[in-house]
Amino acid sequence: MKTARILAALTGVAYGALSLGATAQAAELRMAWWGGDSRHVATQKATAACGQKYGHTVKGEFTGFDGYLEKLTTQMAGRTESDIVQVNWPWLPLFSKNGEGFADLRTLKAIDLTNWTEGDLAAGSMNGVLQGLSVSTTGRVFFFNATTFEKAGVDIPKNWDEFFAATATIKDKLGKDHYTFNAVKETAQLLVTLAVVQKTGKDLVDQTNNRVAWTPEELAEGISFLGKLVETGAIRSQKEEAADGNVNLFEKPAWAEGKVAGSYEWDSTYSKYADPLEDGQVLKPVPMLKLAGAVTEGVYRKPSMVFSISKNSKNQEAAAQIVNCLLNEPEGIDALGTSRGLPASKAAAARLGDKGEAEVRAANAIVMAATGPTVSPFNEHPEIRAAFIDTLEEYAYGQLTAQEAAQQIIDTVNDVLAEFD
Amino acid sequence: MKMQRLLGLGYLTPYIVGLLVFTAIPFIGSLYLSFTSYDLMSEPRWTGLANYERLFTRDRTFIKSLNVTLLYVFLTVPLKLAFALFIAAILNYKLMFIGLFRTAFYVPSILGGSIAIAVLWRYIFATEGLANMALATLGLSPVDWFGDPTNALFTITLLRCWQFGSAMVIFLAALQSIDKSLYEAAAIDGAGKVRTFFFITLPLLTPVIFFNLIMQMVQAFQEFNGPYIITQGGPLKSTYLLPLYIYDEAFKKFNMGYASSIAWVLFAIITVLTLVAFWSSKKWVFYAGDKRS
Repeated sequence: MKTARILAALTGVAYGALSLGATAQAAELRMAWWGGDSRHVATQKATAACGQKYGHTVKGEFTGFDGYLEKLTTQMAGRTESDIVQVNWPWLPLFSKNGEGFADLRTLKAIDLTNWTEGDLAAGSMNGVLQGLSVSTTGRVFFFNATTFEKAGVDIPKNWDEFFAATATIKDKLGKDHYTFNAVKETAQLLVTLAVVQKTGKDLVDQTNNRVAWTPEELAEGISFLGKLVETGAIRSQKEEAADGNVNLFEKPAWAEGKVAGSYEWDSTYSKYADPLEDGQVLKPVPMLKLAGAVTEGVYRKPSMVFSISKNSKNQEAAAQIVNCLLNEPEGIDALGTSRGLPASKAAAARLGDKGEAEVRAANAIVMAATGPTVSPFNEHPEIRAAFIDTLEEYAYGQLTAQEAAQQIIDTVNDVLAEFD
Repeated sequence: MKMQRLLGLGYLTPYIVGLLVFTAIPFIGSLYLSFTSYDLMSEPRWTGLANYERLFTRDRTFIKSLNVTLLYVFLTVPLKLAFALFIAAILNYKLMFIGLFRTAFYVPSILGGSIAIAVLWRYIFATEGLANMALATLGLSPVDWFGDPTNALFTITLLRCWQFGSAMVIFLAALQSIDKSLYEAAAIDGAGKVRTFFFITLPLLTPVIFFNLIMQMVQAFQEFNGPYIITQGGPLKSTYLLPLYIYDEAFKKFNMGYASSIAWVLFAIITVLTLVAFWSSKKWVFYAGDKRS
């Protein structure tokens, strides 16, 4: 009887070990990303196809962009982040200042790194350790509502002078409630940045000393450019924007009706802005508008996002198989398409060819062809972004002059940069 | 007997564990963190009183946010209590469809804390929203509810006041428990409705007013959803309540230590005001059997 019990126990242990072995083979993974509906659907299809290929189960944890950083931060602090994480490129210094925040992707054999350029791999590295694989390259591009311009009988502008002339005509012919552009919050920041970069050719941060590269006078000129947009009626004032509450541009009726006829947005977000337009309205990505005397087009171009693997994941190799499948293998490439913009992976770019939305391709082509200095991830550091947005608001409400606003921004940004010395 | 005690303890255990894990430990933890520099990614670094020193000497945003919060609380709480009492007094009468009215007036409290209502509020008070349309039909000029810093906080205050249902229900229950013979005696003595309200109803309601005052004050200090969804604290930080500032510092700027110190200052303010309310209650709250009465 005793022998039988021992045998039964041993059998149980052996069976348990077998099932544990089987679990390690077929891993249960979690993947987190942000995006809109089209990206959610595409990613779920892609993870299902890749999971089936390698025998893993991938559970998606997806949301919109708002709140994603806060959620990821909390998970990272609690070491409960998903096995595969979509990370905004500017966040890499926040999560992995020393290259220790995520798994070192060079040590994971399943990923074919030959599909990325050295530049892409360097952009995804912190302290020399590969922390994230670039999914696509993105940048801000001008979208104009061609229908509104056509209605007013003016061409879509090719430079800022034409833009201001077109604004006057549109307001004259279509009414004072028509605006040619939009600039709130981070878009206002990036427009000011664009104006300064076009004039100076310098990014916000001087990489050699890790301080603001612009002089207060240069930044003040950029801020005044924002003021000029309001004065000429090209954009609504900050007060008018605030009066609508905190509403996204693509949710506003004025955008859908073509009464706001342009914006400066990420190339990959074309559909988000084109879809809500009323029937018959056409949204077009157009080449960078340049200021008179500009030394560069000043494109704000950067890796859009990276895929990272959690250093706390118990299934890093399985996660690497899925990441490789999503970015480099036919099952993942076909399902993802251009839901995250035009892929950075050579294999994906070759396979997709001309597939995907033509307008997204056109927008991306503009971004890739335009000139501009290398963009520092600090441009999107939360404290630096807040410094810009808060100060520009004070300027818009007349509490600061352009010169005072410039000095305030430079002082605050330098304080933040000093923390990274 | 012993078995019953064990059983009782068994029933209490989930609550005690929940209280310890989800309230007491984070509470104590945040006190410790308030004396550290902690960015969530690396270990907390002890900095002593540095966070508090920065808070009270160099942080203009904190001072602004504190002023906005105090103004919000001092506006919201009396307005909400007065409105809740007013509606409760009306609903205390035997009217037709009284059950329907009581339910209808309570509904905003069920919906009020939700994101959907905050979004709805945003649309009602937008430039071309329902509120301005109503003003236009009356021949009045539109109001810049959210764009003007002087109006924005008041508009957020209205949202909180609209959720008066829970305070109203408590007032209604208290009104219904007042002995009718007191009103009959007052009527025989020739007291009118106004005198009866101020000399009988109101004094007998003071314990409930006191309870509602404390509860509403604590809730008002914790307001987050409304300003976060509707204005994100703007314009010019005119609706930037302290909970929003704590959230931004903790989860957007990764200054968890600093955010903890703000949270503790907020806690201290609530504690002091609650103690003041308790101290003052000796002078204006009347309990049944109270010798003063």
